[in-house]
Amino acid sequence: MAAPRKSTPTVRRAAVLGGNRIPFARSNGAYAKASNQDMLTATIDGLVARHGIAGERLGEVAGGAVLKHSRDFNLTREAVLGSALDPTTPAYDVQQACGTGLETAILVANKITLGQIESGAAGGTDTASDAPIAVNEGLRETLLAANRARTTGQRLKALTGLRPGHLVPEIPKNLEPRTGLSMGEHMALTTKEWGITREDQDELAALSHRHLAAAYERGFFDDLVTSYLGLSRDNNLRADSTTEKLAKLSPAFGKGDGATMTAGNSTPLTDGASMVLLGSDDWAAEHRLTPLAYFVDSETAAVDYVHGAEGLLMAPAYALPRLLARAGMTLQDFDYYEIHEAFAATVLCTLKAWEDPDFCKGRLGLDAPIGAIDRSKLNVNGSSLAAGHPFAATGGRIVASLAKQLHEKGAGSRGLISICAAGGQGVMAILEGA
Amino acid sequence: MPGVAGTTAGTTLTFATSPDLKPMFARAVLNGRFSADGLPQTVAERRGIRVDVGHVVDYAHVCGFSVGTSLPMTYPHVLAFPLQVALMSRREFPLSLVGLVHVENAITWRRPLVPEDVLDLRVSASGLRPHRRGRLVDLVNEVSVDGQVVWSGVSTYLARGTGDPAAVSAEAPDVTELARSTGGAVWRLDEGTGRRYARVSGDVNPIHLHALTARALGFDRAIAHGMYTYARVVSALGPRVPAAGTSRVWFRKPVRLPSTVLLKVSPDARHAVVVPRTGEGEHIVVETTPARRRPPPTRVPNTRFVKS
Repeated sequence: MAAPRKSTPTVRRAAVLGGNRIPFARSNGAYAKASNQDMLTATIDGLVARHGIAGERLGEVAGGAVLKHSRDFNLTREAVLGSALDPTTPAYDVQQACGTGLETAILVANKITLGQIESGAAGGTDTASDAPIAVNEGLRETLLAANRARTTGQRLKALTGLRPGHLVPEIPKNLEPRTGLSMGEHMALTTKEWGITREDQDELAALSHRHLAAAYERGFFDDLVTSYLGLSRDNNLRADSTTEKLAKLSPAFGKGDGATMTAGNSTPLTDGASMVLLGSDDWAAEHRLTPLAYFVDSETAAVDYVHGAEGLLMAPAYALPRLLARAGMTLQDFDYYEIHEAFAATVLCTLKAWEDPDFCKGRLGLDAPIGAIDRSKLNVNGSSLAAGHPFAATGGRIVASLAKQLHEKGAGSRGLISICAAGGQGVMAILEGA
Repeated sequence: MPGVAGTTAGTTLTFATSPDLKPMFARAVLNGRFSADGLPQTVAERRGIRVDVGHVVDYAHVCGFSVGTSLPMTYPHVLAFPLQVALMSRREFPLSLVGLVHVENAITWRRPLVPEDVLDLRVSASGLRPHRRGRLVDLVNEVSVDGQVVWSGVSTYLARGTGDPAAVSAEAPDVTELARSTGGAVWRLDEGTGRRYARVSGDVNPIHLHALTARALGFDRAIAHGMYTYARVVSALGPRVPAAGTSRVWFRKPVRLPSTVLLKVSPDARHAVVVPRTGEGEHIVVETTPARRRPPPTRVPNTRFVKS
């Protein structure tokens, strides 16, 4: 334990001590019937087993899911109660679309940094298979009106509002409520605006598959992934993926000749969960755990995509200069870049924007462009195009993998994480190798 | 051939897949009681079982288990049960299948099973003995992986009839105090409980399915499967169930459906009891004992544990 102190915040480093995830599965496949709570509980238990912390009370567990049943209001706490952690470990849910997993890690890391807690776990889960289907809105309103009625007559009158069409359920949609466009349709607009070619997108996708397959082959995931329901690898992974094969697919988003985005260079709907273990140096030492990396800083940005000023998934482009300014770094100072591949085009648009003098001056207010990155340092162990993207689980996957990469690289190495999210948001973080 | 005893080599029935229980129950209802005296030496086997993960998830959700990396501790029982029925519905079996009451069950496991394990299952009958209210018999279920028994279960059934007042049998631990303690989790079990468990367990004994079919067999309402109520207790114990150990259950008083019952667990999780929310008595009593020796580490493929 840290030495007793008066309640003045002490700022110290929060370490990433390890991670665990279950293999990601394409939706309606291997995990079709598994619930978010099942997957999150199994993932926490794997984290506990790997780090020998059964029965420990952690400072807190932060988790979440993007697609969530109303009965799962206390999802993470319920998962903790079902896990091998001490049941007196507090927990809470976070929802920031695809940024959820990284945001939970930032929250837990910040509390550790401030000395409020010594340890914590952060992550998320999502299932597009066991999705929350709700009753029809008309049926819901009619039933609520009947419930409010005080007399039998009023109740019967309310129930006369029932219509056959009310049997059609409400199914969750991947649509932005304010624009009525799906995320893919939004991305297609940005892709066109930045003139990203089909070839470049397919090349990035093929590389993601090859990198992920190579990482599995060399055992990189042996202490990051635990088999679940008979699956030992992400089943979206196509080790033999090539740009030639990807070039044969028809466009899935956008319209006409200029459409470039396909099912191959976009992430599929996926099921899965991930968790990372965080702690202070003292807590790590007490538990004989080795820090892999430290949280340096983080930044979240949002853009106004509703009135057309910016593309839905471009917020990370805006978060970066603010983050770099605080850290006193340039984009070229990093050893690794983890840019979440919502779509291959998202990564390519963001990189192109940082190289563009007009964008950097006009939109970001910078004197000079941020510049290009060494692409050999990008998503070196594969990313979402290959692994899949169970929304809230992606952040934990990236934090754990990057922390391990940085630890392998050596103390002082630096890595950048960028995750775009629905609602025009983007979460970024800097990790430093321990 | 699926679901049919493929070969009867000597006294071993070998099944390629799980046998369908409906015709066996139907035959047993029609045939009634047989009158053989001794216990046959017949053994039922299923080898090389790869569990159907979809079925594991269905079973887990019906019984309240979270779907983890290992199988629910009670899951192998639903693999063994059809083979038990196959043995008990044979003409040579001395007791009538219909009317057998599951009174006790004991499971010993050396480690948690994982979906990757390839299971060999062997079921036999033994220990036919007198009881105060009839005769008892044990159905012994053994699950082996790579030739090692990793999970074994003993299901004890009572055939009600002329008993032996002098017969002595193992009694459940005294949990009167726990049963009378305040608090406990409330379980509201609806009328469909028996049908849902029948779907995942294959145990379509009519006494569990509907009040009408139960009435035909002398019960006023459908009753919950004992192994369902027991599995609910094990799932509620969750991480407090050790990685290796023995779990025994005594079925005291049927849970009539629908009903509301309470689960009470001792602070050390060694004892658990399910009692009616209102009224006297105990439905089931569960005793969990961790194994003395440290279990071998669970085989979780694709994982290297940093620490043990």
